[in-house]
Amino acid sequence: MFSKLFAHQESGLILVIILLMTALSIYGHFKPSESKDSIVLGDSAEIRFLDAQGAEHGPGELGRNEISFYRVLENGKTTDYSSSVVSRYDSSARTVFTEQRANRFLNKGNLVLIAKNASFFAIMAVGMTGVIILAGIDLSVGSIYGFSAILGAMALNTLGSDASWMLSIPIGFGVCVLAGALCGLANGAMTVGFGVHPFVITLGMMASLRGLTVYTAQAVYDNQSIAGLSDSFTTGFIKKEFFGVYPVPILFMILIAIAGWFVLTRTVFGRRIMAIGGNETAAKYAGIPVGRVKIWVYTITGALAGLSAALYIGYLGSAETNAGNAYELQVIAATVIGGASLMGGRGTVFGAVLGAIVIQLLNNGMVILRVDASVNLIVMGGAIIIAVVIDQTKQRLAARRG
Amino acid sequence: MNIRKAVLVPTTIFTLAGMSLIGCSKSAESGSGSSATSSSETIYTIAVIAKSNSNPPFQAAKTGAIDAGKRLSAEMEGVTIQVDWQTPPQEDAQLQAQYVEQLVASGVDGIAISVTDANTLNGVLKDAVSKGVVVVTFDSDAPDSGRMAYYGVDDKEAGKEVMRQLAIQLDGKGVVAVLTGNPAATNLSARVDGVAEEAGNYEGISIKQVYSFTPETATEAVAKMQQVQTANPDITGWALVGGWPLYTDNALDGIYEHAKIVSMDPLPLPLEYAMKGQVQVLVGQPYYGWGEKSVEMIIDKLHFDRSPETELVYADFDIVTIENAEEYAKQWDKWLGKDATP
Repeated sequence: MFSKLFAHQESGLILVIILLMTALSIYGHFKPSESKDSIVLGDSAEIRFLDAQGAEHGPGELGRNEISFYRVLENGKTTDYSSSVVSRYDSSARTVFTEQRANRFLNKGNLVLIAKNASFFAIMAVGMTGVIILAGIDLSVGSIYGFSAILGAMALNTLGSDASWMLSIPIGFGVCVLAGALCGLANGAMTVGFGVHPFVITLGMMASLRGLTVYTAQAVYDNQSIAGLSDSFTTGFIKKEFFGVYPVPILFMILIAIAGWFVLTRTVFGRRIMAIGGNETAAKYAGIPVGRVKIWVYTITGALAGLSAALYIGYLGSAETNAGNAYELQVIAATVIGGASLMGGRGTVFGAVLGAIVIQLLNNGMVILRVDASVNLIVMGGAIIIAVVIDQTKQRLAARRG
Repeated sequence: MNIRKAVLVPTTIFTLAGMSLIGCSKSAESGSGSSATSSSETIYTIAVIAKSNSNPPFQAAKTGAIDAGKRLSAEMEGVTIQVDWQTPPQEDAQLQAQYVEQLVASGVDGIAISVTDANTLNGVLKDAVSKGVVVVTFDSDAPDSGRMAYYGVDDKEAGKEVMRQLAIQLDGKGVVAVLTGNPAATNLSARVDGVAEEAGNYEGISIKQVYSFTPETATEAVAKMQQVQTANPDITGWALVGGWPLYTDNALDGIYEHAKIVSMDPLPLPLEYAMKGQVQVLVGQPYYGWGEKSVEMIIDKLHFDRSPETELVYADFDIVTIENAEEYAKQWDKWLGKDATP
């Protein structure tokens, strides 16, 4: 059973993820964080600060490390909070903030954050997997993401902040996905129609769409950032809280990953993608409509970038024209780390999703380890190179044995 | 040895060794200079999130924040202040939001941030404040985020000052081009508004156009300026609301011969342009103070529960010309951490 498990392409990535999480959990155990909570004082409540001798002081008289107890007097009742559980008292907010130690990495909030941050890239990486299997490339996904986000934000801003979910959800998703799909369709049609390498076409689209995004926002809103989106779309759906976390983008990532896996491995369309990626000439002579398949793949990639953009504007409640700048690099990196070959013919959806998660784990790890952000790019670049080299080595060794 | 062992075993060893090395090493600046802390010591962790690592003024903010952390740690008994620098490589509001969330989840006590886009950051900063994290903005504000205070210049006044200085150089008449960067940045928009408003006070001055460029790199800025000047030889003055084109050599060839230039940000490279006489005036912000003052305000609140008297803490401008450029340039050694004096 284990030999079958490790034969899978994603097994190495899963092992890397497990190792990273284990190491970060161990670090997080020895360097715990303080998870914060708050007690808001009522209007009639008073607070006193007791020093080590038990003497009472008013706000601002003692430094934090001189306070032994926080005494709250409210409605004739006295409650003392030890300074070991209280982080501080904010007089302007009349709030006592308490802390509990938690594993800096292995806590619910942090793990959900990692998955949520990965979801924006993972969804785009699902589409990019198909493109790379075809031996193509799409450098415009970041720009499609930004353009779709601006159009979606414009639509939701027009609906107003109190629009019903029956309008905001279909319109929000519809505008973003349709905009993305049309951009993807343009990529595919120009690549196939003009017979130009997709690197050139998508590079041009990357620049054009970025300019169009800035121009559109300025022309319609005289602003480069659009907020005031429908609450039913943002906090009412995409950023809806469940048990203190926001899991909706993660659910979308899982659904898209399952759908992508199914299409790629269980449908005729998926088989055609693999066949074209393996040998385009042979696929053509076998009667596969190569051009049509390519156009569909680019269209779907664009649509998924639009979907990711919808999640972005829903989660953050706004869109700015710089959104998605250089995101194509992370998306391609996730796909390649996931095992897709830039030569074409090889790649998996789950690998791309795991690749996105590895990148976010590394990002999160550096925040937790308090590594200066200037070092981030060096570590990320090194990790990507190592992942690709390991994968290439694995392929060469397998070929030699085979 | 089969493929799986050949690949997976070294991967395992490398990963564990690497993470162990990072975890055991001193990976961030610690105010006290010592990695040992006793159970009675209070440790404050403050994260500084600027707009981009590639923008030089923010390096001065970083030095200011770290120096303030060290100084206050030495002054306050039993207190250690750790300053974490978590700034995106280039302007990315979504990445800033991601950093804020991760830092709050990791238990940071305070955040000093220059927001790339207030709309994007408002939600996550409000969440941070509700969890007891003290938030201060610098350089670029997010007034609806629940932040405790903003430290920096009044950006509209900064824009007015740029135009005022340019009007003096032009004797009150000329055609002026305005150069700005990321149009979504509220601080830059405010400066542009200030330039336009001040220009209205001079009958002989007209604004040709406000030119923007993205991404905010020196190369893009220079290209834009040179294209515009070549296409519009009637331009006699440039109001730069940020000093981007001056972060590279020979940026003003073909421009300074035909137009007067007043810019924000007297950084080391722009100061050379001032010393050569190619830029007439540079309007300075408190770059080092962005970090220093932000950390001071956060610690004041965290440790003594003292808020600043006003939400908007404005700093004065520095006016730098060819006369005082050399003297001003000496301050950069300290601000960029080259001054070894503790």
